Amino acid sequence: MLTRIALILALPVVGFLVAVLFMGLSRKITARIQRRYGPPLYQPIIDVVKLLTQKENISHGILFDLGILLGLAGAFVTIVFIPAGGIQPLSTSGDFLVVLYLMLLSPLGVALAAGASENPNASIGVSRKFILALGYEVPFLMAALAVMTRFGTTSLVQIVSSQQGSVLDWGALALPLPALATFLVLPAMLGIRPFDFAAAPQEIASGPMVELGGKYLGFAAIQGALHTYIVVALFVDLFLGGAANMLTFFAKMLAVFFVGVCINAVLPRFRVGQALRYLWKWPTILAFVGLVIAALRRG
Amino acid sequence: MDREEILKMLKSPANWGQKYSLWVVYFCTGCGVIEIPPVITSRWDAERFGVLPMATPRQGNLFLITGYVSLKTLGAIIRTYDQMPDPKYVVGFGSCPVNGGMYWDSYNTIKHLDKYLPVDGWIAGCMPRPEAIFMAVVHLWQMIDKGIATGYKRYKENYGYYERNQREILPHLAKFGRVETTAGRNS
Repeated sequence: MLTRIALILALPVVGFLVAVLFMGLSRKITARIQRRYGPPLYQPIIDVVKLLTQKENISHGILFDLGILLGLAGAFVTIVFIPAGGIQPLSTSGDFLVVLYLMLLSPLGVALAAGASENPNASIGVSRKFILALGYEVPFLMAALAVMTRFGTTSLVQIVSSQQGSVLDWGALALPLPALATFLVLPAMLGIRPFDFAAAPQEIASGPMVELGGKYLGFAAIQGALHTYIVVALFVDLFLGGAANMLTFFAKMLAVFFVGVCINAVLPRFRVGQALRYLWKWPTILAFVGLVIAALRRG
Repeated sequence: MDREEILKMLKSPANWGQKYSLWVVYFCTGCGVIEIPPVITSRWDAERFGVLPMATPRQGNLFLITGYVSLKTLGAIIRTYDQMPDPKYVVGFGSCPVNGGMYWDSYNTIKHLDKYLPVDGWIAGCMPRPEAIFMAVVHLWQMIDKGIATGYKRYKENYGYYERNQREILPHLAKFGRVETTAGRNS
C-alpha cells in the first residue's frame, strides 16, 4: 500500500522530468535541423523558473486561475493511469477508457481559462482546438477500439502484457492499419506542425495562451509538456509493446518523439479545413479498415 | 554551466531564470524591426542566448523599441508595456529612440523615449547590426546580476512623472479614462 502511494506520487514527477527533458531535446534537435546551435538542454527549466517567478499585474477572475489548475491537475492524474515500463500504480480493468476521458480534461482546463480571459484571439484558438480534437478523435477512437477488440480487454496493463512476447506481438505488427492511423494523427494530438493552427503565434497571437503570462504561462507550459508525455506514452503502450522497465520505455518514447520533432521542424501549417479534410480521410479510412479486420479475426 | 554560474543560480534562481530567458515582445515599433528576423533565425540564432520572440505582451519580459517612435506608436507601446508582467526590461534600439535620430525635427516623433517609459539600456546606431542586440543582451545580463536593471521599479516609484508626460502628449489614452476618439484606435 505504502509503495503504491509512493509510486502514485513519484510517477507524475518522473513524467514531468522526462517531459521537460524532451522539450529541451526538441528545441535542440529543431535548432540543429535549421542549422542553428540552439539553446542549452536545460533551457525549458530556465524558462519555467522565470515564468514562475514573474508577477502578474492584473487578475482575469477566479475561473481563469482555476482553469489552469484544472488543466495541470488533469495532466498529472492522467499520467498516473498510464503504465510506464512496468510501473502502473492505478491499474484497473477499465483504465484505457478512463485515460481516453481524462486526456481531454487537461486541454479543457486551459480552454476554460482561455474563455475566461475574454480575448477574441483566445476564443478563436479554443474553437480551432476543439475542431482539431473533433478531427483526430474519430480516427484515434476507432484505432483504440481496434486495439481493445484485438486484445479483448480495456485494461492498458493487459494490453501491454499481451505484447510482451517478441517484436511480432507488438501492436504495430498485430494491428498495422490502426497503428499507422494513430501515427498519422499523432502530430494533431500533440498540437505540433502541421496541426499547430490552434496556437499559431503569427495568426492569432498564440491562441488560448494569448492572455497567459507569468505563473499562468508557466503552469500552461508544464501542462503542455505533460500532455506530450501522455500522448507519446500512450502510443508506446498501445503499439510499441510498452516496456518491461522504465529505461526501455523512455527510449521508445524518445524514438517516437524524435520522429514527431522532425515532422514539426520541416512542415508548414495546415489551414483548419485542410487539417479536417486530411484527418477524416486517410487516418479514418485506415483505422476503420483496421477495426473491421480486427473484429472479423476475433469473431 | 561553469562553477561560478552554478553558485549564482543557487544564490538566486529567480535572477538566473530572468537572466537567461529573455522573451522579446514581437511588436514592430519601427523600421529597426527589420534586424530582428535575421537575429532570431538561423544566421544569428538568438535562441542560444535564451532570447525568443513572443506573440503577446503577457508572455514577454524584454521590450525592444526598434526604431523611431511616432505618437500613435507610443500609445501602443505604453499599453503593451503596462500589460507585461514584472520584471520587465526595455531596450531602445537604434538612434531614433535615443534622441530622435534623423527625425530630430519631426512634429510627430518622440525625441526622448525615457520621458515616457523607463529604459534599461540603449543600442546606438542607424541601423545597429544584429550583433549589437547580443551585446545588449549580455550587457543586460550584467545589469541583472548587479541588480541595476530596475526600470520596472522606477516606473512604479515615479509613476506620477511618467504619467504626467504621457498625459501631456497623449491625453486620449484609454487608461486616462477618456473615451477613445476615432483618431487613434491603437493609441
